[in-house]
Amino acid sequence: MKEIVIISGKGGTGKTSISASFAYLEKEDAIIADCDVDAANMHLLLDADFANPEEFFSGETAFIKEEDCTNCGICASVCRFGAISFVDDNYKVDPLACEGCWYCSRVCPKETIQMQKQKSGDLFVSHIKSDSLMVHAKLGFAAENSGKLVAQVKNSAKKIAIEQKKKFVIVDGSPGIGCPVVSSLSGANLVVLVTEATVSGLHDLKRIHQVVKKFGIKSVCIINKYDLNEELTQEIQEYLTKEDITLITKLPYDEDFTKAMSKAKCIVENENSQLTTILKDSWKTIKDKI
Amino acid sequence: MKIVLSATGGSWNDFVDPRLGRAQGLAVYDEQSKELSYISNGDGVSADHGAGLQVAKLILDSHADVIITGNGPGSKAGELLAKSNVKIYVGAGDMSLEDAYNAYKNEKLTQL
Repeated sequence: MKEIVIISGKGGTGKTSISASFAYLEKEDAIIADCDVDAANMHLLLDADFANPEEFFSGETAFIKEEDCTNCGICASVCRFGAISFVDDNYKVDPLACEGCWYCSRVCPKETIQMQKQKSGDLFVSHIKSDSLMVHAKLGFAAENSGKLVAQVKNSAKKIAIEQKKKFVIVDGSPGIGCPVVSSLSGANLVVLVTEATVSGLHDLKRIHQVVKKFGIKSVCIINKYDLNEELTQEIQEYLTKEDITLITKLPYDEDFTKAMSKAKCIVENENSQLTTILKDSWKTIKDKI
Repeated sequence: MKIVLSATGGSWNDFVDPRLGRAQGLAVYDEQSKELSYISNGDGVSADHGAGLQVAKLILDSHADVIITGNGPGSKAGELLAKSNVKIYVGAGDMSLEDAYNAYKNEKLTQL
């Protein structure tokens, strides 16, 4: 079983559309993990049924036991997040504002503030239209993605892939370069960097590559919308050569991309699109690179 | 030499955990005494924050000379480990502990 992680650094490069297309092409041989949990949307393209929900806990929230509280107000005075206020004759914690830092709980002279595990969302193992399974998550209000949640999504996908003897785990990675991305990358066999021919596309490609390099994982690249700015595409290609990253393909700007999206379809479901031919070839090339 | 492998268990047939930061545990092989032991990373696997630093601490506490894993550490754990003399070898993510150790001995793994 091989794990392929698709990341971009910058948003809007087409990472998820491309990931979903690869998932669609590989059919039942690939288990999918959507680690872009903050803005999860791959379920729309792959028609996930939100099956097998499992609660996910991360972080803690302070809770004041009102019957033991003397309303001294020390907790509210130390809270840096403005999460504790005096409402209806009692100090209360706003769970959306509480960061779970424990400060109030430590200073309470009556020891009446307890820290409770916070449910941050649900994890699903869904059936998807490519006759396979996808592990993904849905966050609650004010909850954020974390390395812990990404690890849980990925480990769950990997476990299924090993048990069912699948060939691939395809991971739609998290955006940016922080903790969730590190967790998306950890344990991967190959990284596919998706960028676009814009200044920020190149800038974020360089940033994310610095992170990938630290892990010593082999990476390949897809330049999307290359004809928006061919001079910049040239610059991106020079950077790829310098960093020893294989260029898999250059995709032209094509409205079939957004048309597929608005119909909740993967690009490759449209057999007549030029993008479908390119993406089929690209997926084959990527598999050969592992 | 003390060799630490990010691991899913403590016997030679167990597999390398390709992750370092949230590895299930560490297998520690002492080449002198030929003993293989196992440290669980129970807290680190499910840590909300700082999973990488926790495993780096376990590694440093074990007085390892060499780490064998799938991918390297993230930036924070990497910075910490770079200050010690421990050498990091990657590329053993798909191997059993025995295969990974042999691959290291035969210089088949990549040093970071």
